[in-house]
Parts: sequence; C-alpha cells; structure tokens
Amino acid sequence: MKSPPVPLPAPRRAELVGALRRLLPRMEGVGQQGRALSFGIPALDLCLPQRGLVFGALHEIVPATEGDRPAAIGFLVALLGRMPAQGPVLLVAAPRGWTGSGRPYGRGLHQLGLDPARVLLVAAGGREQALGAMEDALRSGVPAAVAGAVDRLDLRASQRLQLAARETGIPLLLLRQGPRTEASVAMTRWRVGAAPAARDRFGLFARWRWRLQLERCRNGRTGAWVVEFDDAYRFSLAAAMADPALPRRAGAQSLARAG
Amino acid sequence: MQDSLADAHARADALQIRPADPAADAAALRRLALWATRYTPLVAPWEEENGADGFFLDITGAAHLLGGEECLLADLRRRLNRFGLPARLAVAGTAGAAWALSRFRREPVTILPCGQEAAALSTLPPAALRLSCATRAALRRLGFRHIGALIDKPRAPFAARFEKELLLRLDQALGRTAEPLRFACAPPVYHSVRYLPEPVVTTDAVAMLAERLMQGLSRALLRDGVGARALRLSLYRVDGEVCMINLGLAMPTRSPAHVGRLVALKLARLAGTIDAGFGFETIDLAVTAAERILPRQTELTAAADGTPEAERCAALVDRLRQRLGPRSVQRLRPAASHLPERAEAPCLTAEETSAWPPPDAAPLRPPVLLQPPEPVAVTALVPEGPPLRFRWRGMLHDVVHAQGPERIADEWWRARNTCGPTRDYYLVENSDGRRFWLYREGLYGRETEAAHWFMHGLFA
Repeated sequence: MKSPPVPLPAPRRAELVGALRRLLPRMEGVGQQGRALSFGIPALDLCLPQRGLVFGALHEIVPATEGDRPAAIGFLVALLGRMPAQGPVLLVAAPRGWTGSGRPYGRGLHQLGLDPARVLLVAAGGREQALGAMEDALRSGVPAAVAGAVDRLDLRASQRLQLAARETGIPLLLLRQGPRTEASVAMTRWRVGAAPAARDRFGLFARWRWRLQLERCRNGRTGAWVVEFDDAYRFSLAAAMADPALPRRAGAQSLARAG
Repeated sequence: MQDSLADAHARADALQIRPADPAADAAALRRLALWATRYTPLVAPWEEENGADGFFLDITGAAHLLGGEECLLADLRRRLNRFGLPARLAVAGTAGAAWALSRFRREPVTILPCGQEAAALSTLPPAALRLSCATRAALRRLGFRHIGALIDKPRAPFAARFEKELLLRLDQALGRTAEPLRFACAPPVYHSVRYLPEPVVTTDAVAMLAERLMQGLSRALLRDGVGARALRLSLYRVDGEVCMINLGLAMPTRSPAHVGRLVALKLARLAGTIDAGFGFETIDLAVTAAERILPRQTELTAAADGTPEAERCAALVDRLRQRLGPRSVQRLRPAASHLPERAEAPCLTAEETSAWPPPDAAPLRPPVLLQPPEPVAVTALVPEGPPLRFRWRGMLHDVVHAQGPERIADEWWRARNTCGPTRDYYLVENSDGRRFWLYREGLYGRETEAAHWFMHGLFA
C-alpha cells in the first residue's frame, strides 16, 4: 500500500533541499575542496556550483551559430588566460579544427590574456586522436588547462574526458561544432554569440562583448547575460543603459538577476 | 673475360642466367650490414670500389663482449651460414689488409695479429690492394707479381709512373694512412645491447627490455652529465631482418621509465608495420644524440615524485609526439616583423621560444589568423575608404563600425619573398556584432588601379 506524499512544512523542506544540494556534488565527485574559476560577476557566479567554473571538469562552449565561432574561441581563450595555475595550456585540434583555414595567432591570444609562451598547439590527425591526446594530457597532470576543438563527441568519450579531468583537477574546455549538440556529461555548456563591442568616447573598440547563455549547468542554474571583457582581462556585465546599441532585453535580464 | 652468352653455355650447359640487379644487391647488402650491427654499431657496407659484396666491421673494443675475435668470427660465420651465405672473414689492423686477406687467402677465416700487415700482404698479388683495372694491367706489364715487391721501394718513381691510387691503397693497407669508412648508420654516442637467450615477440617485452637497457645507459649518461636527446632502438629478428625505431625527445632525458613508455607508444603506433616474425633475438638501444643536462636544484613546486615542471612537460610533449607524429606539438615563437603572417612562427622545441612583446602597446590583433588570406568582395564609399559592405564565404555583411586603417608596408629590405603592395588593415564590426580583420591591398592610385580586399583574421 502506498501512501500519498505528505507535503513537508516549509522550513523542513528548505533544509532537505539544502542537504540534497550539498550531497549531489559529492556524489558526482566534485567535492568542496575542488577549486573554481570565478568570473568576478556575482550574478553569473551565483548560478555556478562553487561560485565559478569548476576545475577538474568538462565544460562545453558552443557557438550560437556557425558565424559566432570566433566569438566562442575568444570566450574560450579569455577563460584559459584567467586560469591561475602555472604550466602549459594545450590547444588540441583536428586539422581545420579551429575555424576552417584559420590558426590560433599568438599576439591575438596575448591580447585576450593568454600568454602565447605557455601555449602548446597540438595538431591531431582526426577526432579519435584528438580525444586521445586530450585524455593523455589530462591524465599526465602537467597542463594548467586543456582546450580542444572537436566536431562530434559521443557520451562515452565525454565520460572518459570528464573522468580524466576530475582525477587530476585540470579544467577541460571543449569548443563544439554547434549549434546542435549531442548529450554529454559536461559540467556546463555555454552558448556564445557575438555582440557589438563597447566603444570608448572616441568611437574606438574598448571592450569585447559576448552574449553568453549558460544553457546547462549541473548543480547550478542556467541563465543568459551579455558580458564584456576589458583589456585588464576582467569580465563584467554589459551595462544596458549606458549603451543603447545593446539588445535591451538581455541586459535588463542580467541586471535583474544581479539585483 | 668478355665471353658471350653462347660461349658460357658452350662451357657449362647447366648454366642458369639471371639479369643483374645492382640496386637490389646493394639493398640486400645494406640489410645484411644493418643486421651485422648486432656485433658492433660501426658497419660499413662495401661500395663499388671495394667490390660491393661485403662489409667492414669495426670491432675495436667490441670483440671481447663476445669472447674475443675467434668467438666473434665463429659466431658471425655460423649465423651467416644459417642464412645460406658462405662467408670469408678476416680480422686485421687495417681495413685494406682485412679486405685483401678475406679475398686472397685460401682459409675462409683469418685473424692477423697486429703489426704483421706487411708480412701477410707481401705474398699476395697486387690485385689485393683494390686497384683499378688499368693500374693492375700496368703493374703486370712491369712484372710486379706480389705486393712484397712494391713495399719499401722508393716512392718517387711510383708516384711519377702511376696514379695516386697505388700508393694510397698501399699506405691504407699497411696502416700508414687512415682510411675513411662510410658506416651504414650514424655511430651512436652510447649504446647498450642485449643478446636474448629466447626470442621475444610481444610489445610489452620489447618495451620492458628497452627500459632495462636504458637503465644501463643512464648510469653512463649520469656519469658524463648528459641526457639522451635522440634514441635508436634496433630490433634484430631471428631471420636477419632489423627494425630500427628512432625516438626524438623534447628535452634530454635519463629516465628509463620515460623511454620505456615512449617505446611502448611508438610500437603501438607502428603495430601494423613491424612484423615480429619468429621473434627478436637481439635488442640494441643507442643514444644517437646526447645533450648536456645541467644539474638543477629541485623546484619548490615540484610534484610529489620530485620531477621538475619542465621535465614533466617535456615528457608529455614526447608522449603526444609518439602518438600523433613528430611535428604534431608546436609552440609559437615571435619574430621581428610587422607583417602579421611573419610576426610569429610555430617551432618545435621550448628553447627556441623567445620573449613575447607586451600586448598592451601593440595594435589589436585577432586570436585567429587566416592563412592564406581569403579574397573578399567589398563595397566602399570611396576606393581608399573603409568598407561599407562585404561578401565573404558567400555571406553578405553590413559594416556598422570600421576602425583603421593600420598601414603595413612591404618589407623592402628583403630581396626575396616580398609580400607585395602596401596593406591597409581595418577592424570592422558587422550588424550582428561579429568582428573581422580586413585589408586592402595596394595604395589606390599609386600602387594599384583597383582595390583588392582580403580577409586576414577573425576577432573574438
């Protein structure tokens, strides 16, 4: 005989949810001791477990459309540059993995905060090799971070990568083909689109802007923001009111969340 | 000599005839020479002037490893016989004397004690000196039947009468002049060889043996304060084939475990091309390039196993290169040039990287560079103005904001490889907020009549 679920009194319910919240990350192997990369934006960090991008996990970055791929690369490089750990940063890609015939350009990476002297470019012959190389690099425990560009990723491969990243506590950022993505065990999935850049009073480009959509976030909340990236390599929310060029709704939403 | 085929058939009716294939002969000889590196790493197959039908082994310091010269020759002869090659062998103090003794002595195996070259050669005909046909004929005409008649004669008449060849060959055979030999593979700096009682076939066994050999080598490397930068693993198959595996390392190393892992990775990668056959009976690990390792203080931040950061990084690079190919892992190196595509170049090693200029002062550069630049169809208000609208990869983009131009002129001081006319770079943003790096080639009206536009980079 099954009794109908008894609605819990409100304080007890909050307590239970809190306990479950604490339990879930431990079940997924992301302990309290895991470090995280904070964006420095309270509204955004609050959505993420441990108030930031968890190290030792797989994070997916998906361009909103094919044309937004450079913006997605920019966001990825900006994140890599903010990783505090010492050591090399691996960029793994199959041939033509980044954008068609393009290749990462050191001076441009430098201007997004990633020191090109730390960068190791790994050219894999195909997708399987790229996945193998990423797993190898993660398991070695040497790099500060690993980033890769793969077109397709099956669930099993994503599990292997997530496991390898968790074991050594090295963040893995995957640039996906987009716009559609298969199921994976990624901790977060960011959909990145280009947004008109902020300009200074002389009309020159001052800060890059990206439309970020946190589409998936385990143990956290999803959300959408327009973020800016300035030349001190800091993230901030684009101020909607200051720039009428911005899409009003996205900015307003982010402000509401911040409040 | 100079018999026709019919003459030959007339003399021996059971004659079998095959066309000569010198290239295949040379290849077979080279294979055999590589096999012979199991005795000593210094093996020189004979070229045309030596008859192209044998090889020199430099067994200096190697004979005692097999129990002396007699045992070495016996072993070599036994193994060659098993391949179906009846061999004539000679050991002498000089390559020339050994050549002469192996060909002109009746016994198939000769060992000449040191310093007796002159006595041993004096009874042999002049042909034993590896002379050309003309010189041999001239000597015969003059009545020289033995080398003894040539030794210790006044040199001036011979020098005047014959080519340099005669005296040179004589001196080489007697050890008065050094004879340069062309070895089949570069002599290693260090090497360690193991003769196995039982052939091995599995990858694991080979990797483990390589690790053991490296353990032996690492003592010598440590003593000399160097590390291996390039290694060669030679696997000698029971049937005489030799597989050689070359390993390059990102940083000099002495670690047997690292070498063992690299060998295992390489073997896994070559699985389709290496055939173990009935097994490998001898394994040789050679250090073909060694480099100084400076003694270092252990870093405070070193990992639990005590290896410094740089070494662990180099180990990772090595592993990835074994897996993906020798040129798969690259670093970026800045170069002194204003042209974007020349301002940096990929390089293979860590030492080549130099300091990057600070990014703040420099004009904006894209994180993704298109190489080669892609042509773009552009509409502009005036020919030398910023673009208003452009079509790239089949898509039409409306320019909302353009920043520029940044003028980059040709490097006229280079005699060759000039990039062409002056370029005007624009950073443009389209109506979707996507940013592009375009340039117009040539100064309108001065260098070119029509403006050509190219897409060179994509901004974040």
